[in-house]
Amino acid sequence: MNALRRHRELERIWSSRPGWRGKLTTVNNNDIGLMFVFVATAYFVIGGILAMLIRSQLASPHSAFMGPDVYNQVFTMHGTIMMFLFAIPLFEGLTMHVLPRMLGTRDMAFPRLSAFGLWCYVFGGSILIFALLAGVAPDSGWFMYPPLASTLGSPGVNADFWLIGITFVEISAISAAVEIVTTVLLYRAPGMSLEKLPIFAWYMLVVAVMILTAFPPLILGSILLELERAFGMPFFQVAQGGDSLLWQHLFWIFAHPEVYIIFLPGAAVISTVLPVMARTTLLGYRWVVVATVALGILSFGLWVHHMFTTGLPHMGLAFFSAASTLVAVPTGIQIFAWIGTLWKGRPEMHLPMLWIVAFFATFVLGGLTGVMVAIVPFNWQTHDTYFIVAHFHYVLVGGFVFPMLAGLYYWLPHFTGRKRYFKTGETAFWLVVLGFHGTFLLLHWAGLLGMRRRIDTVEAGSGWELINLLASIGGFAMAIGFALVILDVAVNVAVSTRSRRNPWRAGTLEWAALSPSPSYNMASLPEIRSRYPLYDDPELPARIARGEGYLGEPRDGLRENLAVDISSGRPRCLVIFPTNSVLPIIMAAVTGGLFVGMLIKAYWLVPVSLVGMAVIATWWAWTLGSGEDQDPRPVGNGLVLPLASELKRPPGWWGSLFLLLADVVFMGSLLFGYAFLWTVAPNWPPPAYLKPGLLGPVLVLGGAALSIGGIRLAQRALRHDEKPWPGLLLNFAGLVSLGGAAATVLARTVHDAHAFDATLWVIAGYVIFHVIVAVLMTMFLTLRAVVGYLSSRRIGEANIVGLWSDYAAVVALLGLGAAWLPGAFT
Amino acid sequence: MSDILRISLPLTVWLASFSAVYGLQGIACSQHWAAAGLDVATARVALTAAWIAALAVQVAFVFVLGSPRFASRSLFVRTVSRILAAAGLVTTLWTLFPVVTTSVCI
Repeated sequence: MNALRRHRELERIWSSRPGWRGKLTTVNNNDIGLMFVFVATAYFVIGGILAMLIRSQLASPHSAFMGPDVYNQVFTMHGTIMMFLFAIPLFEGLTMHVLPRMLGTRDMAFPRLSAFGLWCYVFGGSILIFALLAGVAPDSGWFMYPPLASTLGSPGVNADFWLIGITFVEISAISAAVEIVTTVLLYRAPGMSLEKLPIFAWYMLVVAVMILTAFPPLILGSILLELERAFGMPFFQVAQGGDSLLWQHLFWIFAHPEVYIIFLPGAAVISTVLPVMARTTLLGYRWVVVATVALGILSFGLWVHHMFTTGLPHMGLAFFSAASTLVAVPTGIQIFAWIGTLWKGRPEMHLPMLWIVAFFATFVLGGLTGVMVAIVPFNWQTHDTYFIVAHFHYVLVGGFVFPMLAGLYYWLPHFTGRKRYFKTGETAFWLVVLGFHGTFLLLHWAGLLGMRRRIDTVEAGSGWELINLLASIGGFAMAIGFALVILDVAVNVAVSTRSRRNPWRAGTLEWAALSPSPSYNMASLPEIRSRYPLYDDPELPARIARGEGYLGEPRDGLRENLAVDISSGRPRCLVIFPTNSVLPIIMAAVTGGLFVGMLIKAYWLVPVSLVGMAVIATWWAWTLGSGEDQDPRPVGNGLVLPLASELKRPPGWWGSLFLLLADVVFMGSLLFGYAFLWTVAPNWPPPAYLKPGLLGPVLVLGGAALSIGGIRLAQRALRHDEKPWPGLLLNFAGLVSLGGAAATVLARTVHDAHAFDATLWVIAGYVIFHVIVAVLMTMFLTLRAVVGYLSSRRIGEANIVGLWSDYAAVVALLGLGAAWLPGAFT
Repeated sequence: MSDILRISLPLTVWLASFSAVYGLQGIACSQHWAAAGLDVATARVALTAAWIAALAVQVAFVFVLGSPRFASRSLFVRTVSRILAAAGLVTTLWTLFPVVTTSVCI
């Protein structure tokens, strides 16, 4: 087969259907990635327009441009859109598009999950934009502190739109994170061991794990606040045992790592693009990996520095002040690695490099003001002033937007196959950078003069008028600059001339693919021997196109890919990927029904949607796997590999494991919230703790033993080609018993009586939810066994069900144990 | 996966111990501590003991990740995990030293 025929055949197998319907059913990483980027850009434009409305309002004293009610909605939505609907989806889209080629693989790990995440993002974001257009947008600030965001301060539906819409969007972030972790760890070109990973992949691995561990506390907080608003469960009402500080903890346990979740993709782009612009390789690769991992974990130990003014004891302040100063070290390691890379290379000032220089000038300043606000006395002085607003804009725009623009211009020839002809980008660069500093450098000063954030008007004679006028002028210059960037990209995409492959002479693998990238990404999967495969072997793109790597011969119209060993990159199995499907968009729409039902208080829609989701999930999973044992297949270069469906731990098992990591953090956050209220909340203890009695503990202990033992019995039977029914039956009985134990908690407490009761309801609900998931999975497994989808070789699905079943037992033991603990000792 | 654990464990354990010590300080300053008949001096002892235990775990990581039995076969992973173990030790030392230098509940 020659290269052209191979290309056509692979395109036929991997591409989306033609026309607009193809966009609704595509699961291809290139389509999904670009759609993420397009939608995120649209939200950026909306968020930018809101920013200009803010600057218009503050440009003159006592401005009548907006009333306070509208202004509150505008600044809340500006922050919300930029953080949730722009920044995270933008880098997710970029990653989904570029990462598979960088890793030398053919798609993301779970293509239908990518599409599901995209549609959740589009639908969830639309809910928020609808609220904005309807004039009922959230208006309590992007961090939604109760009691301002509870029914006391926000009796309308405004806060509900935030809590429900953002939780919907977070499904997208979690699903993308599971995708990215699994892809980086399992789907790489053969030979790409951990030490040969492109530095971009290391960054995104850390970021994805951070998403999995940072988002659950916010999801929990949003659920608790919505439950309080909708059903009067008083988690944040002091009079009934709640505490509004609980929200602040849950929010900032998410939101401080969120800052690094946004910065690290920017750093990933810098570490990828800067060495190419400097005509060299990254200095201190190992140290950058160390710094990235350290920054990712350290960022979780800083959340309380957002709460320094809440009256904490000195020791608490000192813990978090010390931790906050420490993050400057790994950040500094990266900065010095980049400076060293520039020093050892020969930098060329192309447009991506200009944006990198802007990044240095801006982010270093933002980082230094970050160290300033880590110091407690300074923090007390500047808390909730424009100094903070200026600081985080320096960090987020300098550390994320500028690097992303560097990345945009760097990969533009790769995305489009065209070289930039029109030079509007340089003009846009100067407008954005000068406009940005003209706005936010000055606003530091306003903050130091005492200008509080979120005020809707500037007082005449306050001394802030001129600063705000100049800042507004700078803001509009920046906005014109961003508009020019979009125009520049659009014009160059539309009418520029064809580019040659790899115009920057980069060494990473994405440049080995055709530009624009074909749907299959890699015509064959190369054997990798270094971090910069194209520097070692300039002929590699041609050899890949000639099919000299693995899977070079398309077979049976199947979407074939390889999974590798996590550490060594040694090929482990052949994976058959799913084809285009309407399931993801239907699943997202039905999931949307769940959220809309809660939002408009049509609660009948919630169980209907849940049933719909269960049906679609069953349909989704049913299409996977194989009805018979299959022989290992040749994958090229003399290698023969088993199918993924015949591994004990198939990729789906790993995906479940990473999803469960998020679930574990959710459970941990719930127990933390419970312990926090027990320790700190003023109106504790409650009138009465729940006594465990006999029935509940017997049910939970017996249920856990039956469930854990039963699934193991079923797995053992399958391993010996015996019938798994007894084990599955025991597992089913055990799960039902666990659900019964949780039901006893619900039956003996009143959901809105006290924060203790409300917390127990959430714990019991969480247990019941996992029991239902495990029961459905056990029923699915039973059906699969009936129709012959399980055998001693095809045991992976049983192991996946085992994970979820065990987790249900563990959460029942831990959660219900915690619920009964205070009552057992009083 | 064991290589990923070698890389991620030391600082993850720091995070767990840091959060646990902060939680212990919260409990020590709550009504429950006094109700159990304990005073601030006991709280200082408990917090210091927790800090020393956290340091001991980090010291163990430094040695374990450098030992032939538990170290990775990959030179890259071995180097990165050792640096991160050292970072975990320094981080534990730096972020929890307030247990001996500042007031507990004021």
